[in-house]
Amino acid sequence: MPAPSGPDLPTFEWLGDAALNVRTLLARELYASLRAHPLPGVQEAVPALDLLTLLLDAPTAGEAVQETVAARLATLTPAPGGSGRTLVVPVTFDGPDLDWCAAHAGLDRAAFVAALCAAQLEVAFLGFTPGFAFLTGLPEPLRMPRLDAPRERVPAGSVALGGPWAGVYPRETPGGWRLVGRTPMNFFDLSRAAPVPWRPGDRVRFEARA
Amino acid sequence: MSPSRGGAVGATVLRPGVQSSVQDAGRRVRALGVPAGGAADPVARRLANALVGNAPDAAGLEVTLGGPTVLFHEAALISLCGAPFDATLDGAPLPLWRAVQVQTGQTLTVGGTARGLRAFLAVRGGLHGHEVFGSRATDLRAGFGGVQGRALRPGDHLTWSPLPAQAARRAFIAPDLRTPTGPHHELRVLGTGDLTADLRESLLARPFTVSPQADRMGARLTESVAAPRDPARPSVPNVPGLLQLPPDGRPILLLPDAGTHGGYPTPLVVITADLPRLGQLRPGDTLTLREVTREDAHAAHLTQERALRQAEWMLRQAVVSGK
Repeated sequence: MPAPSGPDLPTFEWLGDAALNVRTLLARELYASLRAHPLPGVQEAVPALDLLTLLLDAPTAGEAVQETVAARLATLTPAPGGSGRTLVVPVTFDGPDLDWCAAHAGLDRAAFVAALCAAQLEVAFLGFTPGFAFLTGLPEPLRMPRLDAPRERVPAGSVALGGPWAGVYPRETPGGWRLVGRTPMNFFDLSRAAPVPWRPGDRVRFEARA
Repeated sequence: MSPSRGGAVGATVLRPGVQSSVQDAGRRVRALGVPAGGAADPVARRLANALVGNAPDAAGLEVTLGGPTVLFHEAALISLCGAPFDATLDGAPLPLWRAVQVQTGQTLTVGGTARGLRAFLAVRGGLHGHEVFGSRATDLRAGFGGVQGRALRPGDHLTWSPLPAQAARRAFIAPDLRTPTGPHHELRVLGTGDLTADLRESLLARPFTVSPQADRMGARLTESVAAPRDPARPSVPNVPGLLQLPPDGRPILLLPDAGTHGGYPTPLVVITADLPRLGQLRPGDTLTLREVTREDAHAAHLTQERALRQAEWMLRQAVVSGK
């Protein structure tokens, strides 16, 4: 799709023969719009940061989908403040990397925990493992380099920092982020009506518990 | 479950095989971080279901490398499609790619296969299983769907939905519809934005070997190539058939249970028409990757889909008009 370039204009890029990457600052708004009003030819939409990957019903659906997505995007405006929901996640800050992270941030343990709890986080997108959310909004000093070699097992409920992200491991998996604490909240529970409690756009706040 | 002739219903798993799990067409909730799942050889799934008059996405049993032994407590119409497994019904050879009538009390034994890796066992009516996000597919890693979210164990009970019984009819499936089972594979691929000239040369010009690390999440290849390193790379959504290149340079072809997002470079994607072949990649098999154009990929998909749909339609007619 030959389109003039500009900061807010979408770009389309094929990913194989049956998926399209749509790069746009309105990725989250487009995802919400496609959930509310699905487009013919689009089987599934998967969000990431400023990116929405569209899995197509058939490889040949691509050209028509690009046109309808561009038209849909033209009707959307940025939705400030995300979803309007806020999730408070209780955290016991006793992770094996807590002191390392505090030192890396140049803070003592209490100040580090206070800074992390003061951070206004937001669910950017879900992925990696069922219920895992990539939380954006970490202030620069709290951004931690990932481990050189991932741990083979990260316990379920671990609260972790990796690159620009914060996250909570919903169940035991391998993981390369720095572990600062743990929460009793379950982010993937099939016995609930909504097995995954958070959605892109939700605000998230960590709250220290004893 | 259906009441049946005063006896037990369904079937009992006597031996589970290497890894047998309930699968169907999978789920579409990647946006919640949930992998797609579903039968790794969708052609085998569709044709096996069509042979017994099921919808294409009905749940059945995916068998891997060595199959299960199952005792039937009620009559059933079954079909086994996929790699050329040895299978018997009460000791008599069971033909693959056919609808076969099983009588109450008979035992199905699915043995091993010399080529390929997987087959799909369909039962008329479709297997029951724990339905999660619209699919009964077993997610072995996360532990949900199918039979308690795991591969079969001895003593597990399989049940299926009652459908009016139909007699098996002779129906022929053209061999060229079947997913090829190696030992050498040629996979057609398309490049992504990550495909550099160097990667094109190192990935496309040589044979690779499928390593023993080949499961429902992905098939790792043995030989390594020089991999670009970009620790700051953001995680982006995965699609079926993506070739991931982790820092050690040993490529991974993604299968249905792969995680929904990944942070490694992904220079190639297997075309849709060749995705079923990934489900038959067996450790030790060799493969080459051949780059094609998107037009080639579309044409291959249309040709395959037309032939499959025609076969499915004819097989269903054969069952519906049976007796």
